[in-house]
Amino acid sequence: MFDKEYSFRGSHALKVDKLTAQFDENSKAKLFARNIDIYVNAPIVGFLYGRTALLDTSTQETAKIMGDRVIYSKEDLKYNYRLIILLDAKHEPDPVERINKAFRTIGTEVAMVDEALFESYVRGGVDVLYEKLIDGVANPDDYVNRLYDFIEEFDERFNQAISTESILALCEKANA
Amino acid sequence: MLLQSIKLENFRQFKNEQIDFSTDWERNVTIIIGENGTGKTTFAQAFFWCLYGETDFTDKSLLNKLVGTDLLPNQEAVVKVILRLNHGRTDYTITREQVYKKSYKNTLTSNNTVLNVAYRQEDGQLVYLKPLLCEAEVKKILPRELSKYFFFDGERIEKMSKEVQSGRKSSEFAEAVKGLLGLNSIISAINHLNPRSKYGVIGSYEESYDSKSDTNIQRYTKEIADFQVQIDDIQSRLDEIDDEIAKATTRKEDLSEKIKQYAEGERLQTEKEKLIGKLNAAKRSKATATSTLLKDFNSNMPAFFAKSTIKGALEVLSKEDFLGKDIPEMHSKTIEYLLSRGTCICGTHLDEGSVPYNKVKELIEYLPPQSIGVSVGQFVKDSRIRVKDDVDVLTNLQQMCALLSEQDDNILELIDDIKAIESKLGGGDIHSKVKALFQEQQLCDKAIRDLTNEMKNKNEQLGALKTKRERRITERAELSLRDDANKKIEIYKAYAQSIYDDLITIYQKSETVIRIKLQETINEIFKSIYAGSMSLSIDEKYNISVYVDDYDGDVETSTAQSISVIFAFITGIIKLARDNQVSEDNDKSMLTSEPYPLVMDAPLSTFDKRRIKTVCEALPRIAEQVIIFIKDTDGDLAEENLGVKVGCRHRFDKLNEFETKLM
Repeated sequence: MFDKEYSFRGSHALKVDKLTAQFDENSKAKLFARNIDIYVNAPIVGFLYGRTALLDTSTQETAKIMGDRVIYSKEDLKYNYRLIILLDAKHEPDPVERINKAFRTIGTEVAMVDEALFESYVRGGVDVLYEKLIDGVANPDDYVNRLYDFIEEFDERFNQAISTESILALCEKANA
Repeated sequence: MLLQSIKLENFRQFKNEQIDFSTDWERNVTIIIGENGTGKTTFAQAFFWCLYGETDFTDKSLLNKLVGTDLLPNQEAVVKVILRLNHGRTDYTITREQVYKKSYKNTLTSNNTVLNVAYRQEDGQLVYLKPLLCEAEVKKILPRELSKYFFFDGERIEKMSKEVQSGRKSSEFAEAVKGLLGLNSIISAINHLNPRSKYGVIGSYEESYDSKSDTNIQRYTKEIADFQVQIDDIQSRLDEIDDEIAKATTRKEDLSEKIKQYAEGERLQTEKEKLIGKLNAAKRSKATATSTLLKDFNSNMPAFFAKSTIKGALEVLSKEDFLGKDIPEMHSKTIEYLLSRGTCICGTHLDEGSVPYNKVKELIEYLPPQSIGVSVGQFVKDSRIRVKDDVDVLTNLQQMCALLSEQDDNILELIDDIKAIESKLGGGDIHSKVKALFQEQQLCDKAIRDLTNEMKNKNEQLGALKTKRERRITERAELSLRDDANKKIEIYKAYAQSIYDDLITIYQKSETVIRIKLQETINEIFKSIYAGSMSLSIDEKYNISVYVDDYDGDVETSTAQSISVIFAFITGIIKLARDNQVSEDNDKSMLTSEPYPLVMDAPLSTFDKRRIKTVCEALPRIAEQVIIFIKDTDGDLAEENLGVKVGCRHRFDKLNEFETKLM
């Protein structure tokens, strides 16, 4: 798992290309520095926004991430995979079974359905990021403004009520 | 010259019309009024055609269109203008006619114009001049080149005023002035004596030495002539140099003026360049800020996006107990290995189904992957690391965006400032323009330097040549005294030279006096026409400059001023010419001159009412005869202002496009 080349496909490949494209000639700035950054973060976004998407095979477009690059980020990918599997109660209502999937059957043959779910969140996340950050933007300055709006909205919706201390306290509790 | 009448036959829209002009000393103005298109200009052009056979019309066919149409093949019609005038004490009748013939192809062909001049002798006898002499006689009455100062239209006045003020035509003016003011007779006398031409009196004496008496006389004469040729060459080159220096100096002054005008532009250009520098810096700074913002965002986004899910996951995990059961640092595969080996680490045999075998096998339950305590522990550890290093992405982003917004404002302000300057500059790079002007100015400087050096050298050569020539002349004089014939020539030549020198002195004196007087007269007239504190000055080359009385420097003149200048100039010349004629002064008896009329086509159109009044008052006072062609709207105003000075008035009435009658 997360130990070989990965490819975004179809419409998602095109969206990934745009999310990693240079939008300002002066600053050479890109919203996402690399394809792998989208692969790591998109599934969380997709999950939080409740967005999944099917693999788009309507075009032959691909946006690849080299195998060594995937392996280098394997721990981050696995970590996010576990977060999603642990929290997706729709996918698996029994918390004990979710823990089982996250830690016990991860990477085994029985986990294929979970991996498929993760992948659909990756694609859903790409859709959300594209809609929030790229769609309809006319000039370079708008990219930064759209990013700010998105981060503000995300923060308000998911992060504002959560303090770092409360998470650290949970870490203590989980280790106790 | 006083115009008495003009008669036009088949001349464009005039089939057969005659106008008499006022020759009354007091009521010396003739007004000819007509609507636009009635043929005022045609009538004015008829003078020109009669005297010189030329017109300004684009359609060179002068035959009345109706007459032309009515002609049958092989029939002829004549265009004729008869001008009666008085010049000196003689009455002239000048006739020009041109025969037009219709061909069978229905086209009109014209013959050359034929000029006839007749004059009445004092005994009343009419004398016709031979055809070959006619043009010369017209030239004597009014040379063509001078005619434009007396027959002119509004447009020509504007053109002339530009020429006068540009100085380009000043030599032509100088000639005109000298001619009109009666200096021609002296000039002719001077030319007749001219020692520099072998056809002049003095020059011909040079050729008359009898060289048989002494071969040296011949040699010296030849040398003197050679020196003279060289002196003339140098002199003409010196004149050219003078001109070239004047041109370069004028150009240099123009350039200085332009550079001065660009000075403000240059300051703005420098300011613009500074602002562009600032703008580029602001853009770079914004670019840096944008790239920092995104770099920060990229490195902090995993923790930011995952924050809520980390908390949720930890909450799920915190409800289960994974601790205290696992055997540290071991894996289920270790146990599987021991079981398959059949021997424990302690050496106990592990036979399948035996108690030790089952005890060791149970340990698998406490080891990964069956036990997940270690993995969960690692997951919690990872979570702590992520959250602990959590950066406030939103606050950072807010700060960076505020900075970007400030930079945006700054950039917009700079762009606005630059645009404002650009609109003042009117486009183009001032620095390169000024640089080009400076370079040209340097070229002018160089040209002036080179020409001045050349002039210095030429003057030295000239001095040397003159000395040599003088020496040879003296030597020849000494030799010639030894021979009676040559002695006579030497004496005659000395007389002629003396007369020549006297005439030159008189000429120069008269010319200066006339020029100064002309300047005074012109100023007087100019001030009466154009009220305002402005004066004119005429330099030695007859260039006219306009000065504001309390301002040191030539000033740019408006169209009305320019036209007033030329009015003043022309009327000034006429006034002086007239003064000359009536003068009893003996000195001036050498300066014979003839008064001329002013024939003007639409001269008032560029003036306002107040100036029309002043012009109307000034003209009949200054010129002996004034003939004005004027459109009906200006006509009433002119008549009102010219008042009692009007001796004759005529009005044109347009019957149709091809015929105008005199009412």
